[in-house]
Amino acid sequence: MTRELLPIASPRRTWAALWTEVRALRWLGVATLVTAIGASAGGLVAPWVLGTMVDDIAGGAGINDTAGGAGRGPVVTAAVIIAVAALGTGVLTALSSALLSRLGETVLARLRERVLDRALHLPGATLDRVGTGDLLSRVGDDVSSVTTALVTTGPQLVSALLTIGLTAGGLFALDWRLGLAGLVAAPLYVLAVRWYLPRSGPFYARERVAVGERAQAMVSSLQAGQTVRAYRLEDEHTSAVERRSRAAMDLSVGVFRLFTRLVGRLNRAEFVGLAAILASGFLLVRADLVTVGATTAAALYFHRLFNPIGAVILQFDEIQSAGASLARLVGVASLDRPRPPAVVREPEGAGLELTGVGHRYEDGPRVLSGVSVRVAPGERLAVVGASGAGKSTLAGIVAGVLDPVAGEVRVGGVPVGELDRGRHLAMLSQEVHVFSGPLVADLRLACPDADLDDVRAALSLVGAMDWVRALPEGLDTVVGESAHRLTAAQAQQVALARLVLADPTVAILDEATAEAGSAGARDLERAAVAATKGRTTVIVAHRLTQAELADRVLVLDHGQVVETGTHADLVAAGGRYAELWRSWTGAG
Amino acid sequence: MRELTGGRLLRRSIGRHRRRMAAAVILLAGHQAAEALVPVMIGVIIDRAVGTGDTLALLLWVLVLAALFTALTLCWRHGARHGVIAMEREMHQLRMEVVTRVLDPRGHRTGLRTGEVLQVATSDAEKAAAVMHAVSMAAAATTGLAVSAVSLLTIDVPLGITVLVGVPVLVAGLHLLSPLLTRRAAAAQAAAGETTALATDLVRGVRALRGIGAQASAADAYRTSSRTALRASLRAATTTGVQQGLTAAVSGLFLAAVAGFAGWLALDGRITIGELITVVGLAQFIAEPVRVLGFAGPILARARASADRLVRVLTAPPVVAPGTRTALPDTGVTLHDVGYRTLADLNLDLAPGETVGVVGYDQRDCDALLELLAGTVPAGDYRGSVSVGGVPLAELDLAASRGMVLVEQHDVALFEGTLRSNLNAGTEHPAHTVEAALAAAAAEDIVAAHPDGLDHPVTDRGSTLSGGQRQRLGLARALATGPPVLVLHEPTTAVDAVTEERIARGIAQLRGSACTLLVTASPALLAVADRVLVLDGGRITAAGTHAELSEVDERYREAVLR
Repeated sequence: MTRELLPIASPRRTWAALWTEVRALRWLGVATLVTAIGASAGGLVAPWVLGTMVDDIAGGAGINDTAGGAGRGPVVTAAVIIAVAALGTGVLTALSSALLSRLGETVLARLRERVLDRALHLPGATLDRVGTGDLLSRVGDDVSSVTTALVTTGPQLVSALLTIGLTAGGLFALDWRLGLAGLVAAPLYVLAVRWYLPRSGPFYARERVAVGERAQAMVSSLQAGQTVRAYRLEDEHTSAVERRSRAAMDLSVGVFRLFTRLVGRLNRAEFVGLAAILASGFLLVRADLVTVGATTAAALYFHRLFNPIGAVILQFDEIQSAGASLARLVGVASLDRPRPPAVVREPEGAGLELTGVGHRYEDGPRVLSGVSVRVAPGERLAVVGASGAGKSTLAGIVAGVLDPVAGEVRVGGVPVGELDRGRHLAMLSQEVHVFSGPLVADLRLACPDADLDDVRAALSLVGAMDWVRALPEGLDTVVGESAHRLTAAQAQQVALARLVLADPTVAILDEATAEAGSAGARDLERAAVAATKGRTTVIVAHRLTQAELADRVLVLDHGQVVETGTHADLVAAGGRYAELWRSWTGAG
Repeated sequence: MRELTGGRLLRRSIGRHRRRMAAAVILLAGHQAAEALVPVMIGVIIDRAVGTGDTLALLLWVLVLAALFTALTLCWRHGARHGVIAMEREMHQLRMEVVTRVLDPRGHRTGLRTGEVLQVATSDAEKAAAVMHAVSMAAAATTGLAVSAVSLLTIDVPLGITVLVGVPVLVAGLHLLSPLLTRRAAAAQAAAGETTALATDLVRGVRALRGIGAQASAADAYRTSSRTALRASLRAATTTGVQQGLTAAVSGLFLAAVAGFAGWLALDGRITIGELITVVGLAQFIAEPVRVLGFAGPILARARASADRLVRVLTAPPVVAPGTRTALPDTGVTLHDVGYRTLADLNLDLAPGETVGVVGYDQRDCDALLELLAGTVPAGDYRGSVSVGGVPLAELDLAASRGMVLVEQHDVALFEGTLRSNLNAGTEHPAHTVEAALAAAAAEDIVAAHPDGLDHPVTDRGSTLSGGQRQRLGLARALATGPPVLVLHEPTTAVDAVTEERIARGIAQLRGSACTLLVTASPALLAVADRVLVLDGGRITAAGTHAELSEVDERYREAVLR
């Protein structure tokens, strides 16, 4: 199954988006351009002056016998001009480099903030379709790739391009014929690039894939070492890594071979250009059209171009890949934020009502049909059923995360679509996540205005304050994957505390205590009851004790309601639920 | 063999590719020499041809220039290829040495966590192999410097000395800013990394955020972090700008001095105009090899540090010293007076064909027991005896002990491949075995959900499957393998009550007369066990059937009837 991807902006759209951002920083943009041109132009002074000096000396050499102290004037002047130009170039280089970074970094920061905002606000259905994988690579890899390009490649590229442009201009300014001679090399450069790029792009892409596969094979073998040993898969995994490492190595060597052939072509272009300038200089000097000094300056100019031209060509690949990442970022940034409902209505009361709710995913089979149930304000309803019975789908629909194909959900008489959902509905999903950072920041995500007392109260309510106090830095302890790792039970308590802080009218718990695994499950159940006390609650029950604690139980089978009633009634009725309960308690 | 050290590892790296390395060093040195000669040649052509108008001289020297470029390009192409091939091969070899060592069936005692081992196998292998790059680069740069030095000193001794002393001093002087630059750049990178980490973290938790309507406050938190990162990048950018400006200014000033000095000499006729051009050209050129030499130092230092870490893994002793016995009279498991970690004088008997449940009140007891049964604890680390079929585990050879006892962890690890390859786990099972295992693990629906059935691809770690699906596949894998002794650790925590019930019956039926140990607190599983043992405070404190224990033991009831 190939997943759908988030949009990728067209090149035109990408440029337009960038241009809009740069225009917003107009003066910064102008200042950057002016200083960058100045800095590159400053680099042209020295070869020019050297050329003049060569002519002066050559001229002086003709009247060598009369040379005295006065003859040294031009040399001193030349040295002074070069020195002054150097100081000016230094200042302009510093300014342009800093300004260019400021411009690029600011634009990037704005872009990444927009991308994340859109990513977090993706509609539930879209998120389920694209999965988090694509989204993660946009906010992670793509942002990193553009950042790297911006910090390292970008400034080099801009200064290289300006240097090339200005130096070419300088060549023509020396003498148009010398300039033309230099241009002889241009087609060779173009050919080299046109030979290289179509070959290198796919090659690099394959190399990146191979390197990724190699890393993955290593990660998976090493992380699952225990399982590898238990099933005696050592040889199999070693040879899998060996195969991939070898494949990646062969591709890296292949890519480099291709690259050396490009460099060969660049060297050829360098030689042709340099020889052309020297040869035409020779002819022009003989015809008395230019001076030896001008030829010298032209040769030095051209020699100066070797590095920047190489730099531009060698960075083409990186620019292409950064460009691709940028298009992926702009694609997400250009998404519309979901609009809030046109009319927001306040619910009257906290009752929950489902009428004829049915659902199917895309063109798949019906996973829910004809579910109708009323949950009184403050009542706890447990939903019980086998995997695939439709429990989580029902929870998603009640929470307004999924739009049902049929039927309607109302809270206090108001359809879910017309509610301020964030205020009235909250759901704890199966995927418990602890946000990296100080624990208090994690909790405040649910309610940014909460003060420390509120946070502590929420934690106490779910019975988490004891272990929180025992953390090395209490509420300020940095938690998450790479810092202090919370146990599964603690993570669920944090999620419950977030729910308390979010303070919804209707709470939906989807298997929120499933992963606790051991005896701690009981404490979590108590915590869940405390967190949802007084709220209308729908709880997807994993453990039957969760159902036992609820006011009413709804049994789902293949998307349909087969039983509803209190725990005691259902046990007494001797139906599906009673059967489950018997085997669960070991009484059967 | 002498003990492997970081330094020896690096020498070994170069040694095992010595022919390619020799070729790389010689050819790259040739390339640098040719590069140094380009400005010399420009000077010569201006002097001998452009200045004199001698056509023959022009033809001759342009031909020499062509020859120089040919040599330059060929030297680089082949030298660099040899160098890169040697380095890539060495990286591959080092990587495989680490992987082979780490995946050794006897385990490894490196004291490193998985993440660190991974770091060694990837980044350290690459950094250590970069020694080859550093060596060839340094050799080439030294040659380039030598050629430039000879050319300069031939033209004029005092001028040559000025340039040869001046350039390294300048490069070193500009290097003074480097620590600040590195610090700021590192701070900027760290801040950018944090921002990216925050972004991925928020996206990973997007469902949790959406559940409580916290997307906007999360976006705000990200904006704050992004702005902090922006400020750090701008500080770094300012330093970079200053450094680049200084470099431009200082190298320009130096050029002015050299041009002035050389111009003076040319005026006096002590050097020719061509030589003046050569001097100026070389003064600009030699900054490059000096910088390269500056880079080579840190690369070497990093290679050395990485080599030390590689050695630590490569020379790590194995955890277990397996025995040689292979044959076993029967399949029972006996732990006699075992003390290990939190376990104290644990006695546990698992008769052939028995299904036993173990309920541990302390997770650490369970973990210690599982480790002992998995055979990953060296004989000297625990007291008492652990034996299978009457033979101490430590006396069995690895193939026998692993073939005998299989421990399927709670945290199921699946591998990239297909559903079939994961269920087979290295051994071809007949179709009916796989089907029966899937049925017992209530996992047929996972196969049935895909048109390609068992050939449906599984991504690494089964990341496209749900937690419940992973757990059931892991269970089916263990059941299909069908070892004489199967140990399952909490195999049903991620499945619902109804399915758990089916699984319990499935396990009981499929395992039939084979030995099965269920380390779990699930009442459904415990109900199908022949006996249930309660593990508390490192020893067995109660035994009986699940029904008996739930009836009489209040604490037991609390622990399992969730």
